[in-house]
Amino acid sequence: MEPEKLAPHIEEISRALGGKLSDEEIAEELQKYLDVYKLSIPMAKRTIVKRHGGDATGFSAGFQRKLAEIRPGEPNVDFLAKVLSVNTKEITVKGEKKTIMFGFLGDDTTTLPYTAWEIEELPLQRGDVISVRGAYTREYQGRVQINFGTRISIKKEDPSMIGDVPIAQGPPKVVTVKQLRESMGFVEVKGRVLSIEERDVTVQGQPKKVWSGVLADETGKVQFSAWSDFKLKPNEVVRISRATVKAWRGIPQLSFDDRADLTKILEKFPSAEELQATGLSLISEIAARGGATDVTVRGVLVEIRDGSGLIMRCPECKRALQKGMCKIHGRVEGFPDLRIKAILDDGSGAVSVVMNRELTERLMGITLDESMQKAKDAMNFDIVKDAMDEQLTLKLVTASGSITADQFGLSMIVKEAQLAKVDVKDEAERVLVELEAQE
Amino acid sequence: MNAREVAWRVFAEEYNSSTLEHSGEGEKPVSYIVTPLGAKVNRMMVVGVVTDIEDIGEEGKQRFRARISDPTGQFYVSAGEYQPSAAMSLSKMSPPAFASIVGKSRAYTPEEGVKYLSIRPERIREVDADARDFWVLEAARSTLLRIEAVEEGLNMPKPTVGALMKLGYAENLADGVVRAIEYYKDIDTDRFRNSVRDALRSILPESKEKEHVQASATKHKAAAKERPPPETKEEELHEVKVGADEEDTVLKLMESLETDPRGTPWERIVEAAKAKKIDKVRLEEIVAKLLDKGEIYEPELGMMKRI
Repeated sequence: MEPEKLAPHIEEISRALGGKLSDEEIAEELQKYLDVYKLSIPMAKRTIVKRHGGDATGFSAGFQRKLAEIRPGEPNVDFLAKVLSVNTKEITVKGEKKTIMFGFLGDDTTTLPYTAWEIEELPLQRGDVISVRGAYTREYQGRVQINFGTRISIKKEDPSMIGDVPIAQGPPKVVTVKQLRESMGFVEVKGRVLSIEERDVTVQGQPKKVWSGVLADETGKVQFSAWSDFKLKPNEVVRISRATVKAWRGIPQLSFDDRADLTKILEKFPSAEELQATGLSLISEIAARGGATDVTVRGVLVEIRDGSGLIMRCPECKRALQKGMCKIHGRVEGFPDLRIKAILDDGSGAVSVVMNRELTERLMGITLDESMQKAKDAMNFDIVKDAMDEQLTLKLVTASGSITADQFGLSMIVKEAQLAKVDVKDEAERVLVELEAQE
Repeated sequence: MNAREVAWRVFAEEYNSSTLEHSGEGEKPVSYIVTPLGAKVNRMMVVGVVTDIEDIGEEGKQRFRARISDPTGQFYVSAGEYQPSAAMSLSKMSPPAFASIVGKSRAYTPEEGVKYLSIRPERIREVDADARDFWVLEAARSTLLRIEAVEEGLNMPKPTVGALMKLGYAENLADGVVRAIEYYKDIDTDRFRNSVRDALRSILPESKEKEHVQASATKHKAAAKERPPPETKEEELHEVKVGADEEDTVLKLMESLETDPRGTPWERIVEAAKAKKIDKVRLEEIVAKLLDKGEIYEPELGMMKRI
């Protein structure tokens, strides 16, 4: 690879190593990893940083993200954005006066507020397009805030790389339940309260009351937490303005307190029963939302995973035993259980699903006792998994439950599942008619 | 996010017309075949008819090659010792049979500009006709979504991932569409729309009949006078499309090219056919027909030979 192309990578390695190696040394080593060992650039960079005792954990792979993908609480983010506004303010930190810079950044996905804590050598101007490495994020009023600290590296780019970006400010965004995303700022959403309960919780050592439940419109359902008593009752239809969206394990949740405006409305709205019966969701849409409460997906079980079948569980903690051993309690007399761990894929995305004994028995048409008997007869536990593999792999299944997201993708603890039967003909005819109507 | 690669539902025609490979970023870069409609295929799922299975194992090592037809073309599948589950399933199957396959996309590039696409299967199961019909429906739907996304992209002065996402397309599709437009330039979406329509018709018996009557009415007016309407079977439809004289031309052509006992490379046939004013798409139809009839076969991927 040409040396000039390696320059930004060398700079990044140097930064991660805190100047332990000279640029020439890094260049030589990087070249060796790339040309001799044929490592990929990110891998080579990581290896060099680790080898010289640098911190490779927060070390970015030089991977720029869209602003809409950035989450609160990230220690190291890289992105390309346009500077939409630049303001300065004098603050007092530990008795010392200091000037900081703040404003908005934007790209073609969203706009976010930023604060620059060290403004020397940061000649930011409105309209600049900058590539940023090593920023960190916080949450502020339900919105991601980007911070430029001491580790920041900013490079000016060609301003035409990002076109005009409107600043998202002013009134709350009016959205449907399905459109709710983590950290989108103030939102206004309308829905029917499907359930609500009062709970006592402790927040930062203080006892507090929270009213939590499920709100639904025709696009989906969302968990909400009201931190102030709005005297909400089940089945009421309400418009909530100036709420914020937080995420619990990736699932967007609505949160609001006395800053919010809540109006009870009497217009026509789908009944609780209609809202309860969720339609099918696309896995790609759930992935874009970062998870979802109580949804139904339909797809093919593309893989029955290890850990499926007949397993033994620890009587103390119910963990699955590995060769008769519990990770926590050592060798124990386990009790048998059945489960399915599989990947369900609907063509738009994939979700890892776990089904309990009851669901497994129903899908397989065999009880736990019968499975135990079979395994004993064959003197082999694995035959239950083998049978599962034979019977369920590549079968079409409908599954309902909540879907959560983490770095390994989406997962669902399945509440309800069955083999799906689809009236292909009707649906195919409908698609064909639509297609022919376009011609 | 290390999310699992989705199993794309893609018709053979779209998959086999891909010539763009793309490698992702990160520690373990994922390789993709980017189709002309912007599907970034690493994993895929196909349900079709297994038309033949060949045991090509050597020295005690298992290896099977299979061909699977969908309404638009054929997929090539190869399973060896590193795909034990799929190889096992193939060893037990006897064609013709409906089969469902999930596997990884593979491209073989013997020389610059030539690509043969196949599937390296992870799992294969024999299924019923209902499962096949459902797959055709799903593949049709997802192809239509991609056609729509590509058309939106082609209408933009400079399509971007962000702009497509704003229209509601998922990020991986938006990214694939931007790459497809950049690489394939003018994408003939009508061609794919037509094959979706034909595929849907193929799983709806009544409309197939209607289509057939129309086709024979317009194309074979003269012939229809002399003989009663032909049997309403799909086979017949192909008969209408690919004339026997064209098949003859291609067979003769292959005979003249055949110097190597292993067969003739596909691209040489394409070249020679061009001289006879048979374009590639047409040639593919004729060759598919000849393969079906058993007049020719493919001794190895990319090679054609007369029987």
